[in-house]
Amino acid sequence: MKFRLPPWIRPRAAIALLVACVVLAIGPLLHEDVYVHNLLTLTFIGIAAALAWNWLGGYLGQVSFGHAAMFGIGGFVSARAELSVGAPMVLAWFIGGIVAGAFALVWGHPTLRLRGPYFSIATIGVGEATRLVCTYWDSFTGGSSGLSLPVHGDLKHTLYWYGLVLAALALAASYALRRSPVGLSLLAIKSDVEAASDVGVSSTRLQDLVLFLSGSTIGVCGGFYASYFSYIEPGDMFGFDRSISWVLMGVIGGIGTIAGPALGAIIFVLLRQYLIASYPQLYLGLYGLLLVLVILFEPLGLTGLFLRIVHRARPDLMVSGPVEEPLSATATPVAETREAK
Amino acid sequence: MERFADLLIAAVLLAGLYATMAYGLGLIYGVLRIVNLNHGGMIMAGAYAGWYVHETLGLDPYLSLLPVAAVSFFAGILVYRLLVRRLPRGAAGGVQSLLLLFGVWLIVRNAAYLLFSGNDQTLRTSYATRAVAVGPALVSVNRIAVFAVAIAILVILHLLLTRTYVGKAIRAVAQNPDSCTLVGISVERIYALTFGLGTALAAAAGLLGASLFPFNPTFGASELLKSFVVVVLGGLGSVAGTAIAALILALVEVFAIVVIPAYLTAAVGFVLLVLVLVVRPGGLFGQRVLG
Repeated sequence: MKFRLPPWIRPRAAIALLVACVVLAIGPLLHEDVYVHNLLTLTFIGIAAALAWNWLGGYLGQVSFGHAAMFGIGGFVSARAELSVGAPMVLAWFIGGIVAGAFALVWGHPTLRLRGPYFSIATIGVGEATRLVCTYWDSFTGGSSGLSLPVHGDLKHTLYWYGLVLAALALAASYALRRSPVGLSLLAIKSDVEAASDVGVSSTRLQDLVLFLSGSTIGVCGGFYASYFSYIEPGDMFGFDRSISWVLMGVIGGIGTIAGPALGAIIFVLLRQYLIASYPQLYLGLYGLLLVLVILFEPLGLTGLFLRIVHRARPDLMVSGPVEEPLSATATPVAETREAK
Repeated sequence: MERFADLLIAAVLLAGLYATMAYGLGLIYGVLRIVNLNHGGMIMAGAYAGWYVHETLGLDPYLSLLPVAAVSFFAGILVYRLLVRRLPRGAAGGVQSLLLLFGVWLIVRNAAYLLFSGNDQTLRTSYATRAVAVGPALVSVNRIAVFAVAIAILVILHLLLTRTYVGKAIRAVAQNPDSCTLVGISVERIYALTFGLGTALAAAAGLLGASLFPFNPTFGASELLKSFVVVVLGGLGSVAGTAIAALILALVEVFAIVVIPAYLTAAVGFVLLVLVLVVRPGGLFGQRVLG
C-alpha cells in the first residue's frame, strides 16, 4: 500500500519546512561564525517557545502572562535530573518537559474551565508565586546562586542542531494543531465554547491537552536553555520579562496564526539584540508600546500585514477561497478592515 | 488569644483597602466586560503620586487623595477614549483588551522606573509610627485611617451607584447596553465614565496602600491578582459582596502568615482564586450585576 499523507497536510508547506531545515542544518558546516551560531540557536528556542505560547494564547484565546513558570520548572527539573540522577541530556529535557506540563495542568485546569479572563489573570499570579517559591527552595534550585551543569567539549556547538529540531517540531505541531480535525475543534472552542460542546467537542479535555503540550514544550525549552548556558538561576529562568517576551513574539508575528509567532520570534530576537540592548532602561516601555501599537493597528501582527498586502495586490486570491489565517475569533477579516476604512 | 485578636483586627483593617482596590476592577469588568490589566499599574501610580506629593510639597497623603483620584479619573478616560474604545467588543475584544492594557501597564511601569528608579520607597508621615489601643491590641493610626477612608469611599460609591441618575445609568448599561441606547443613554459616555471611575479607585487604593506597605515599580501585580480574587469571590459590583469577599481574603492572608513560611504567602491569593473557581465559580453570592 502506498503511504499517504493525511489530507490536511499541504505538501507545499511540508516541503518548505524541510528545505528551510536542511539549509539551516548544513549552514554551520559551511560557514562558522560563533556569534551568528549563538544568535540562531537562541532564535530556535524563541521560535519553539513562542509557538507553544501561541497554542494557548492564539488557538484557544487564553493568553498566558506567566509561561516563564513552566520554562523555569522545565529547566530546573532537567538540570536536577542530570545532576542528581545522572540522566542523559535529552531524557532530562523530556523529564523536565513532562513535569512542567503537569505543573501547568495543576493550576491551569481549574482556571481554563471557565470562559473569560480567569486563566490570564491567574497566570500573572502563578508566574510570580512560582518564582518566589523556587528562589527560596534552595535544595531544589540552588536558591539565588543557581545551579551549574557540567560543560563538556563541543556541547554548545552540537546544541544548535537540537535547537533546530526543536523549532521544526514545534512548527510542525503548530501546523497539525491548526489544520487537523483537532484544530477545527480548538477553533470551535475559541469561538463559542457552548456551541462547541453542543456539537460534541470536549472542551475540557482538549484545552487540557493544549495546555499540557504548551507547558511541556516550554519546559523542554527551559531544559535546553539550561544545557546551553550550563548555568541557571531562578531570577533569570522565572523572570517576568521572559513571559512577556513570548507574548510579544506571538503578537508581533500574528497571534493565532500558524507560523506568525515563529516570524515574531525572529524579529524579536533581532530587535532585542540590536535595539533594546542599547536602551536597557527603556525595554519594558518599548515592549508595552509595541503591544499597544500592534493590537490597535494590526491585531494579526506581521501576518495580518502580509495578508493585507496580498489582498491589495491580488484581490482575486482572497475572495475565492476561505481566508487562510484569520479564521480565528481574534482576526478581523481583511475584507472588513478594508471596508471600514 | 491576644495574638488572635491582633490578627483579627489586622485582617478587618486590611479588608477595607482590599475592597476599595477590588471595586475599581469589578466596576470596569461589570460594565465594560473588560479586565483592566492596567489596574496594577494605576495602583502603583497612585502609590508613587501620594509619595511624591508628600516628599516634595509635604502634603499629607490623605489630603492628596482627592486630587490624585481626580487626575487618575481623567487619565482613565483618556486611556478609554484613545485606546480601549477602538477594540472590537465580544470575545475577540477580550483577548485584545487584555494584551492592550497589559502593554499600557508595561509603559506605566517603565515610566516609574525612569522617574523613581527601582528602589523600594516608603511613605513616611509624622504619625506613621503612632498607634492607639483598641481593646487588648495596639493598632497603628495609619491602618485605622486607611480603613476609615476606604469605607468612606465605598459608601460614597454605593450611594453614587444607587441614588444618582448617572449611577443608575451605569448599572443599566452593565445590564443591557443595547436597551440603554434605545432609551437615550449615551453608552459610550457611560463606558468612558466607568473606566475613569475604576482607574481613579485603583489610584486611590494604591495611595492608601502606600501608607501601609513599601512599594516599587512592580507594586500592583499581586494587588491586581488580589483584586481579581475579591471580584470573583464577591460577584460584580455589589458593595456588600465585595466587602465580605475582601474580608475573607484578608483573613486568609493574615492567618496564613502564622501557619506557612513567609515566602509562600505570595501564593495565598492565587490558591484562594483556584479554590473559589473550583468550588464556587459563580462567586459566593451567585452572579449579580452591579447594585
